[in-house]
Amino acid sequence: MKLLIIVPAYNERENIERVIDHLIQDYPQYSYVVVNDGSKDDTAQICRRKGYNLIDLPVNLGLAGGFQAGMQYAEKHGFDYAIQYDADGQHRAEYIEKLLTECEKGQDIVIGSRFAEKKKPLSLRMLGSRLISGAIRLTTFRKIKDPTSGMRIYNRRMIGLFAHHTNLSPEPDSVAYMIKSGAKVSEVQVEMDERTAGVSYFNAPKAMFYMLRMVVSILFIQVFRSPIRLKDISPENEE
Amino acid sequence: MSDTLRVVLIVASVLCLLFTLRKISQSKVRIDDAIFWIVGAFGLVIISIFPQISSWCCDLLGIQAPVNFLFLFMIFILLVKLFYMTIRVSQLESKVKELSQRYALDHMDQDEVKKDEE
Repeated sequence: MKLLIIVPAYNERENIERVIDHLIQDYPQYSYVVVNDGSKDDTAQICRRKGYNLIDLPVNLGLAGGFQAGMQYAEKHGFDYAIQYDADGQHRAEYIEKLLTECEKGQDIVIGSRFAEKKKPLSLRMLGSRLISGAIRLTTFRKIKDPTSGMRIYNRRMIGLFAHHTNLSPEPDSVAYMIKSGAKVSEVQVEMDERTAGVSYFNAPKAMFYMLRMVVSILFIQVFRSPIRLKDISPENEE
Repeated sequence: MSDTLRVVLIVASVLCLLFTLRKISQSKVRIDDAIFWIVGAFGLVIISIFPQISSWCCDLLGIQAPVNFLFLFMIFILLVKLFYMTIRVSQLESKVKELSQRYALDHMDQDEVKKDEE
């Protein structure tokens, strides 16, 4: 089973070396690719100097565009699974295997969830997560406890779709749409670390707009969107 | 606001919503960009159903007819949108410029490597 770890990176000069060296040293069984999303700092130069496997986008496309480039790489090289893995060190590599094992059981998308078994804290930061969870529950009747987790693994037929579709991005509304289309989605419990260096580009107005976008998209757009036709799972994946 | 205008606004908004959804299904527009039109159409529906909102804003700003407030408000929103679209177009143009320059220079390097090999 071939797994590709897609590491989108935007201005991650302080984290990228630590994160990728850790993957190379401790998890040599997995392939990885760094997608430098037109960083303004020297992220790309660091990757070149260290000889990392790098997709270097010449201009900034945003997370969705960068991730999609990674998915196209996965499709081109025939990977069976692809996982999104943050370059800022929030995701822990020891949980990759747990997600992969769950996905191999025939899931299309497995979310590395902070709240699959643990309770979601009552904080302002989690209010957004609750709203999105509620919206997904209302429209798909499924309980996704950590919809905003960035750590998601996709199987082959999802790679084929996400690599090319304009309106499929690694975001909760796409997860809701895939559930509606009949894809199997599940969650496994993971731990996440706080970002150790660098700054998140998620400020308050951006977070507000993100919430509006997600809620409108899940409650309205995805409800009226006709379901995407999923390819039958090939026999090799059913083993 | 006359009842006829309200009905026309509601019908137009619903048509706008349907049109936007169709374009999303056809992958002609990204969801991020469609949000503006969907939220805008919903807003118009709400203003049509509750014209009190418009009247209240009129009193506040000293405008005589609620429909005038509606026009003013829509012009304002459209101007802001236009401004952001101008920024978007500028950014797109510089991205395309950067891409073509980089593409051309990268290919020049490749050609030189080929020449050296010969």
